[in-house]
Amino acid sequence: MKLRKLIVNLCCAITYAFLIPSVFAQSDARFAKANQEYADRNFKEAIDGYDQLARSGQWSANLFYDLGNAYFRVGDFGHAILNYERALALDRHHPEADANLRIVRDEARALELTPTLVERYLKFANVNQLTIAAAIALWVATFCIVVLIFARRRSGAVIALSIVSLSIFAVAVFAIYELDNGSNGRALAIVTGMNVQARVATADNANSVLALPPGSEIRVLSNRGDWIYAALPNNLRGWVPAKSAEPVRL
Amino acid sequence: MNRRRRRSTAWRALLVGTLGFFVVVCAFADSPSVTAVLSNSEAAVGETVQLQIRVKGSRSADAPEKIAVDGLEIDRTGTSQHFEMNNFNVTASVIYDYTILPMKAGTFKIPSQTIRLGSNALHTPELTLNVADSPGRSSSSRSNREAQPENANRLVFAELVVPKKVAFIGEMVPAEIRLGFDPRARPELVDAPEIAGQGFTTQKLQQSQHDLETINGKSYEVVTFKTAIAATRTGRFEIGPVKAKARVSVPRRQPAARSRPRSPFDLFNLDDPFSDPFFADPFGRLAERREVEMESEPATFEVKPLPPNAPPNFSGAVGNFAMTTEAKPKRVQVGDPITVISTVSGRGNFDRVNAPALEDDHGWHKYPSSSKFKQDDEVGISGAKTFETVISPNEKKPALPPLVFSYFDPVKENYVTLRSDAMPITVEGGAAPVVAALQPGSAATVVASAKPSPKPQDILYQLTELPNVAQSFTPIYARPFFWTTQFVPLLALLGLIGWKATQARRENREAQRIAALQHEMAELMRKLRRDDSSPQEYFSQASRAVRVKTALARNIDPNAVDAETAATAFDLDENERTQLRRLFERSDELRYSGAHNGAETISPESRREVLDLLENLRT
Repeated sequence: MKLRKLIVNLCCAITYAFLIPSVFAQSDARFAKANQEYADRNFKEAIDGYDQLARSGQWSANLFYDLGNAYFRVGDFGHAILNYERALALDRHHPEADANLRIVRDEARALELTPTLVERYLKFANVNQLTIAAAIALWVATFCIVVLIFARRRSGAVIALSIVSLSIFAVAVFAIYELDNGSNGRALAIVTGMNVQARVATADNANSVLALPPGSEIRVLSNRGDWIYAALPNNLRGWVPAKSAEPVRL
Repeated sequence: MNRRRRRSTAWRALLVGTLGFFVVVCAFADSPSVTAVLSNSEAAVGETVQLQIRVKGSRSADAPEKIAVDGLEIDRTGTSQHFEMNNFNVTASVIYDYTILPMKAGTFKIPSQTIRLGSNALHTPELTLNVADSPGRSSSSRSNREAQPENANRLVFAELVVPKKVAFIGEMVPAEIRLGFDPRARPELVDAPEIAGQGFTTQKLQQSQHDLETINGKSYEVVTFKTAIAATRTGRFEIGPVKAKARVSVPRRQPAARSRPRSPFDLFNLDDPFSDPFFADPFGRLAERREVEMESEPATFEVKPLPPNAPPNFSGAVGNFAMTTEAKPKRVQVGDPITVISTVSGRGNFDRVNAPALEDDHGWHKYPSSSKFKQDDEVGISGAKTFETVISPNEKKPALPPLVFSYFDPVKENYVTLRSDAMPITVEGGAAPVVAALQPGSAATVVASAKPSPKPQDILYQLTELPNVAQSFTPIYARPFFWTTQFVPLLALLGLIGWKATQARRENREAQRIAALQHEMAELMRKLRRDDSSPQEYFSQASRAVRVKTALARNIDPNAVDAETAATAFDLDENERTQLRRLFERSDELRYSGAHNGAETISPESRREVLDLLENLRT
């Protein structure tokens, strides 16, 4: 029985090993085709090609960056900014996406959320790096505590190391929480519609809170039917039509 | 019992709460004031005019019964009380109605009257009444009433009161529409009043008052509507007439003329329809409901144009306004939004009040403003309009430029420009600030440097490489892989814990063995110091003590220790070795050859020697 299971597992592994490169090969072909369409100035076709790849889950910073470029070429600044933001969410040091995002933002006059003081200081690392740091610190602290429990004589160095590790763990967890729930966190969305107004209530004729040019950043606080309650640039809050904004993180 | 007590307590609390509420409401009520109004400032000899003195903020006052003016007969004809509640603010007022009968022509001054409110005294304003010789020229209201057709239409009247006859184009002029009904006709307003005419706009009509008034000796229910009129063209034109439709009850006429008793209401035999016996016995005769048209006299209005040379940012606002501004945040980066909240308050045509503009918008990007209007009156010509405008600096700026708002003041008859102070802000990043002081002849250079730094016009190139592994937006802590990898340090930790626990247990066993040996050693020494044991026991215990002590020193089994091992362990000299050997031999001898081989007792010297030897065994 055990032998049969082992053989099945082995077969699956071999199949995957052959299948995955073929999937990537297909993705590469579609990506190259979309790039060619872009080079031929068939921007709508290029958008379709990149979009298909994105929908198939083959996400990469370069794919979203190229998609952003294609949207920029057709004058859709909202979607261009959205895709540059997605590229930066996958790779926050993507230099091309960062440069193009600045250009499009200036062009679109898009509004940005103001990061809090804590967020500004925490920009040196992203959530994944902080998560790894937190995990390592926690394990180091745990090992130190175990050693201290069983040691006949308590070592000062081990005590200091455990305190430092626990402190790093606490700071990292706080930073993860702040970044995840901050202006550039999971709830970040980009206004993609035209002439979008944030309103004080969920009605088209309600008083306007803020006019949001395409590409403006909002932070989704809650959803109610066809409306999103969002934190807006300049520390304002208001209701935005759900169809007018898309989340950055898929 | 308890329930009854609880209910009684609840009622008491409710009563106290209600009383408290009214005490608070009364405490916040306005201080008493008095107004005096003539129903008409023009009249003819023999034609009555009503004077109304209203004392606001009191439920009773001491007003004169008669007012003495030469040429006028002024008598108090009624008193009524009014209560109004506005925003939980209850205002009580008492109204004294007087009828004025002019006896001769001329201009009469009705002097200020003193109204006593307890220890306080209030004074009415002085009023002027113009009395003509004979009826013929009259005010709109009087002519209205006289213009009403006979019979049913005499039951109702309509008036358009426009206090201002000359205005500027766009200026908001308050106007009142008064609809009067004979209360006996059970009136019902079918169509709300409308002001006919062209060349002006009106605010939405707001019903503000419903009073009972005595006009020409007849009581009328008077409904007052307030509005405001703004002319849209210049010149002289008519406003109105006001038209409204009401349904009233009128007695059905008999086909044949017959004499009928005069109504007690018809004091002056004015062919009052209520002289009909129907009103004396409503069940004896049939009445009919009839719709009547109400129409006022039009009011003439002269509209002047605004003077030329309006300020560049003038948007058509006419009135009297004040402006406040506020901006936040005060510290931003270049390109960050700043919300400027500006409030224009006052009185005028707020529909033409636009957001105040930046005096110098160079280096700023402005987004469309949003606005809110909060009116202070019934018709919306007084209030505050708040604008929220988002602007962003394109370069470093030391301050937010002043905001300007221009309007035309119809009282001063000139344009006024309100200008806010420049608000200091801090803009970080971006281009350097523009040099404020200009050297003569260097204007072109400065203008060029004031322009924001040129930005790349086009976006960067496409990237043609895809990574081998797809990336994910899911944070690492939410991925199963991350939690799976945590098994590695977890297993290492469990291994460490197991190893440490085993080691501790082992160390614990050794400690127990050493403790047992130490305990045995102490027991042996105690026995050796006593002199009650036989030589066999004594030497056996002494040799055992040497073995135990050696075992403790060398961490070995005591049974494996002989004289040589002990001597080596404690590094004894030859004399001590000999003594130790003799001790072990003596012990063996006594153990194996029996107790009778030798002396029965041990001399104190021998004991002393053995004890000294044992105490000298030190590492």
